[in-house]
Amino acid sequence: MHEMARLWHVVKRNKARTAGIAILALFAFFAVFATWIAPHDPWQFGRAFLSPSSTNLLGTNDVGQDIFSELLYGARISLTVGFAAGLLAVTLGTLIGLLAGFRKGFLDNLLMSVTDVFLVIPTLPLAILVSVYLGPSMWNIVMVIGLLGWPATTRVIRSQVLSVRESGYVESARALGAGDFWIMRHHVLPNVLPLVIAKFVLTVAMAMLMEASLSFLGLGDPIDKSWGMMLRYAFLRGGFVGGMWWWYVPPGLAIGLCILGLTLISYSIEERSDPRLKRALDR
Amino acid sequence: MERHRHPVAAIAGKTMRYLIVLFIIMSLNFLLPRLMPGDPIMNILGEEAYYGSAQVLQELKAQHGLDQPLYTQYIRYFGSFFQGDWGYSFLCMRPVLEAVSLHLRWTLALVLPAIFLGALLAAVAGALAAWYRQSKLDVGLSAFFLFCYSMPTYWLAMLLLFIFGFQLGWFPLGKVTGGDASGLAYLLDVGWHMFLPVGLLVVSKAAYDFLVVRNSVVSIYGEDYVLMAQAKGLSQMAVLFKHALRNAMAPLVTVTAIQFGAILSGALMVEIVFSWPGMGTLIFEAIGARDYPVLQGAFFMIAVCMLTANYIADMIYVWLDPRTR
Repeated sequence: MHEMARLWHVVKRNKARTAGIAILALFAFFAVFATWIAPHDPWQFGRAFLSPSSTNLLGTNDVGQDIFSELLYGARISLTVGFAAGLLAVTLGTLIGLLAGFRKGFLDNLLMSVTDVFLVIPTLPLAILVSVYLGPSMWNIVMVIGLLGWPATTRVIRSQVLSVRESGYVESARALGAGDFWIMRHHVLPNVLPLVIAKFVLTVAMAMLMEASLSFLGLGDPIDKSWGMMLRYAFLRGGFVGGMWWWYVPPGLAIGLCILGLTLISYSIEERSDPRLKRALDR
Repeated sequence: MERHRHPVAAIAGKTMRYLIVLFIIMSLNFLLPRLMPGDPIMNILGEEAYYGSAQVLQELKAQHGLDQPLYTQYIRYFGSFFQGDWGYSFLCMRPVLEAVSLHLRWTLALVLPAIFLGALLAAVAGALAAWYRQSKLDVGLSAFFLFCYSMPTYWLAMLLLFIFGFQLGWFPLGKVTGGDASGLAYLLDVGWHMFLPVGLLVVSKAAYDFLVVRNSVVSIYGEDYVLMAQAKGLSQMAVLFKHALRNAMAPLVTVTAIQFGAILSGALMVEIVFSWPGMGTLIFEAIGARDYPVLQGAFFMIAVCMLTANYIADMIYVWLDPRTR
């Protein structure tokens, strides 16, 4: 009972983060266990345009596939693309940021100029252009988003590295003969880690939204069950015009809830790693 | 921190930087169709543009200089680009530059009002939420904007259109105008058609800015000059909107520049739902038809918009920076 009370206290204090994690856990559960919990095979054709009923909880689409099962399977594509692309982008961004922050001078200038260029390139139109040439595939989307999404992380990491490397304790470590690599591992990395995680979470959200947009535009693999693709077919094949809200409301809501969950988590991390902000907000 | 420079030098430096970025984006546009998988001639002219034998293909290649070495092509590319020759769109049956410019106007007609009204809405809502923080108003506004921030904009567009268009019939179901009006009636008709998409974009723009304004106003609460203003006997609202909000101006400009791409992307997707004849609809149709020249032109045009927005934001900084006055 005492343990439960303590847990409840922690949950209450971090309401936002707990809610965020709960939402994502729910969708992760759908993604992992879709095969078992989905009432139908979402690729199985049947009677089209059925309204919601006890056999088809959210009705069926234009070729008679069960929409509820599609929704559960959709979590797989969205979460996989989001996390894979986010991981790629943040890894790249962190490495480049660390490198730039640590090697002042020419390399730093060069890397930062490249970062600035990437920051003002419109991501969605470029992603559209590249995906159109590469052809529809989930992994192409991961690659495109991953390779375009790193600059925001790089900027933040670099400025954090710059402030850490000028600090007193790093200077004393250097005076004691510590090498670049040692300092990076023991002082810089622990300091930038919360930021890296916060940026990762936001990048995953960005990637999920972008995947949905690209799929909606018709650049996803038509065989894959993704939320963006469901929205596309509902929009193009009569679901929207026919007022079948049970077809297009759930996938959009699912995308939005995942992004909401990720945003809540990232806020709470940023708040924790920036005590000034927390103080200001509590005032 | 960057050293302080003379404003003219700062502006010249920025301008130079943006020109370089423009050059890189043009180079990207040149390289992409030539590096990507598939036949470059199709990648450049678009999939449907080419019918015929291998001989026709050779002639087309020669005509477009694709049998020349890469650096010759590169120079030719820049030459024709600046002469306004961006290729031909078989989808729109007109030159790409013309097609893209026509559609750009309608996109800007959505995006520009949305940015100004959205920033205004965020400023008012953010300041009120900060002033009455932890109140029901604050919680309600925060939750509302967090919801709008999270949900995909084009999905919200579908909901709005379904509710206010299909169900209630208050607004038209898409496009720019009903057709047969002119003069003032035409403008009113366009305004009526614009209302839902612009309204949606205003709220989604405000959702990006709301927390920025709120936190920046909260952070100056209790500062000496705010207490001073209150002590002078200024009303709550005068303190809030004259002093507290001024502090939020610079972050608001920053976030507008950073999020401009996101707003523009949101607008492109929303256009598709409302059949609004802007860049988004153009891109949507060009993807379906594999009309690559249009997609390249659209990418370049949107990049120019992004650069312009960032450039303007930089100029505003120079102007806001008290050291340059």
